[in-house]
Amino acid sequence: MKYASQKVAFWFFATCMLLFTLQLIYGFIMGFAHMGFDVLHDLIPFNTARAVHTNLLVVWLLTGFMGAAHYIIPDEVQRELYSVKLAYIQLGSLVVVGVVALIGFHVNWWEGRKFLEIPRPLDYLVVVNVLTFLFNIGMTVFKANRASTTSIVLYTGLVAAALLYLPGMIYFENQTMDSYFRWWVVHLWVEGVWELIMGGILAYLLIKLTGVDREVIEKWLYIIVGLTFLSGILGTGHHYYYIGAPKYWLWVGGIFSALEPLAFLGMALFAITMYRRSGREHPNKLALMWTMGCAIMSFVGAGFLGFAHTLPQVNLYTHGTLVTAMHGHLAFWGAYAMIVLAIINYSMPLMTGRKNYGSMTGNLAFWLSNIGMLGMTGAFAVAGIAQVYLERKMGMDFLQVQREVEPHFLGLVLAASLFTVGIALYIFDFTKFGFPSDEALGVSEDTTVVV
Amino acid sequence: MLSKSQARLFFIVGTIFFSGVFLWLTVDTIRQVPNQTRAANITPAVDRGKKIWEANNCMGCHTIFGEGAYYAPELTKVVERRGEVWLKTFLKDPEAMYPGERKMTNYHFSDNQINDVIAFLKWAGEVDLNGFPAKPTLSATTASAPVSNLDLLKGAPSTFSQLCTACHSVGGKGGNVGPALDGVASRMSAEEMTKRIKDPMSVKPDSKMPKLGLSDGDISQLVAFLQTLK
Repeated sequence: MKYASQKVAFWFFATCMLLFTLQLIYGFIMGFAHMGFDVLHDLIPFNTARAVHTNLLVVWLLTGFMGAAHYIIPDEVQRELYSVKLAYIQLGSLVVVGVVALIGFHVNWWEGRKFLEIPRPLDYLVVVNVLTFLFNIGMTVFKANRASTTSIVLYTGLVAAALLYLPGMIYFENQTMDSYFRWWVVHLWVEGVWELIMGGILAYLLIKLTGVDREVIEKWLYIIVGLTFLSGILGTGHHYYYIGAPKYWLWVGGIFSALEPLAFLGMALFAITMYRRSGREHPNKLALMWTMGCAIMSFVGAGFLGFAHTLPQVNLYTHGTLVTAMHGHLAFWGAYAMIVLAIINYSMPLMTGRKNYGSMTGNLAFWLSNIGMLGMTGAFAVAGIAQVYLERKMGMDFLQVQREVEPHFLGLVLAASLFTVGIALYIFDFTKFGFPSDEALGVSEDTTVVV
Repeated sequence: MLSKSQARLFFIVGTIFFSGVFLWLTVDTIRQVPNQTRAANITPAVDRGKKIWEANNCMGCHTIFGEGAYYAPELTKVVERRGEVWLKTFLKDPEAMYPGERKMTNYHFSDNQINDVIAFLKWAGEVDLNGFPAKPTLSATTASAPVSNLDLLKGAPSTFSQLCTACHSVGGKGGNVGPALDGVASRMSAEEMTKRIKDPMSVKPDSKMPKLGLSDGDISQLVAFLQTLK
């Protein structure tokens, strides 16, 4: 760690760990409800559990991105953060808004639009909060007057994410238009600007971990984010097939969605190539595992499994079934959760000065969580495909089909338990680092040159 | 091979170009949607219904236009599938209709609110969704057939064709949750029927049939019809 202000990242990451834990608890509530044990129904009905589960995911990932920005930007532009105090205020207010929203979900206070459930008055606070964050990071870059490509891509992604939050706040009395602009937020976030953020963090990690020349890595970063937007912007069309929008979206969405895996494939090949070109051995093997894991799992989850149901002919039957949950889980895990866990694993030894590289618990955390998540994806896939055939192809009644697929949710809960053990170990490892310290300032990364 | 500045150019030009195409298609979509969604039919009741739909996060369990959660049924064509009588009865007390099954919160909607929700769902059912939801292609069972198919029962009151047939069948048409009602009149007196419909568990304590809270008029009309099924 070069700058004392990078330490604020720790508090963002610690918040991530807390919110992630809560997210898993609500996931289990839903898993059991699907198995037929909706015992908490009167206290936490399914729609509450679901809103909490997905919103916590979004909030902890965004908190992770913000933490990553607070760590990466000072290092990239070679200057202390503009204001440490502002960073703490921003994190604190984000947590307060988040907690109020979560409580609201338990007392039927929300704006029931998938993924954008946060009630409208709180939306404005979120906007103010994100502007504060962007101001702080922006001023850091501006004052430094020295921006690297990696920092520009990361910052552009964050600004675009903030701008794209706005179309989701327009009211339409037509459900079709409502949905149309809701996807501007949701799709253009996760299959657009978030990939810019992910690409920026990935490039930073690759520069640090592999020692490959910055110019080479940043050139490929441009090509990959270029591919992302080339496919992802018009790829939004795969959400417009069956919501009452014109028929040409079937063509536009179908073709450009088919190109979307290319961006993720590019990302995976990019990481693997840079790894093989690596000229030095970085001691932080775990950070490298999470980084490479992220590049590969995002291709499998977001690229490959996404493609598995974005063809309009397939989507006609899989649209609105558990197949979507199958793709969603591995995509978010691979592309976004893993990149946040990677930057945490990379930065913790540098912020705290404790060289806890590649511990047994850290390794187990990586493997158990990944195997668990693959198991969950499998369980969702089996349940989803059964649902598609029984309900959509054969016309069986919804509830009857749900009873048929209940056993697969036992599989889901078992795999989720394995996943949870992995995450618990990760958090245990995280706490072992202790708090960040100024003593870690200027400590080198101990890389050894491989001949 | 590309240089870094060429790579940057590819990113910037590509992004601007495809954003431009996307905006252009969006303008065209905004132009076409009112026609495709029959926006002229969006009455104040439909709008009120949509607001009730959002205020209670119905999408947190159900899907509409295939969007939402996957815990409860897709509701785009629910008015066509179930009919208004069934929906009104169901929304009054959701758990009564499916005792011991997956639960839905009772929101204690007023009659006006229920009408608004139904108006919203009815409008949603008439939107041209480019073929969604697709007709089942493998085999047609009776369980989710539209209620209109059951109108062959001449003289049946709408309470029968929309409510009772959700669980019971006559002549092979209808649901399979409860027993078939063919020839029910020869098994049961009018008196017993009335008692069973009013409070099923008073006759059969382990009955799965819900207490529907129908009016006495509706029940006597139903019993009169059921007595014709000999």
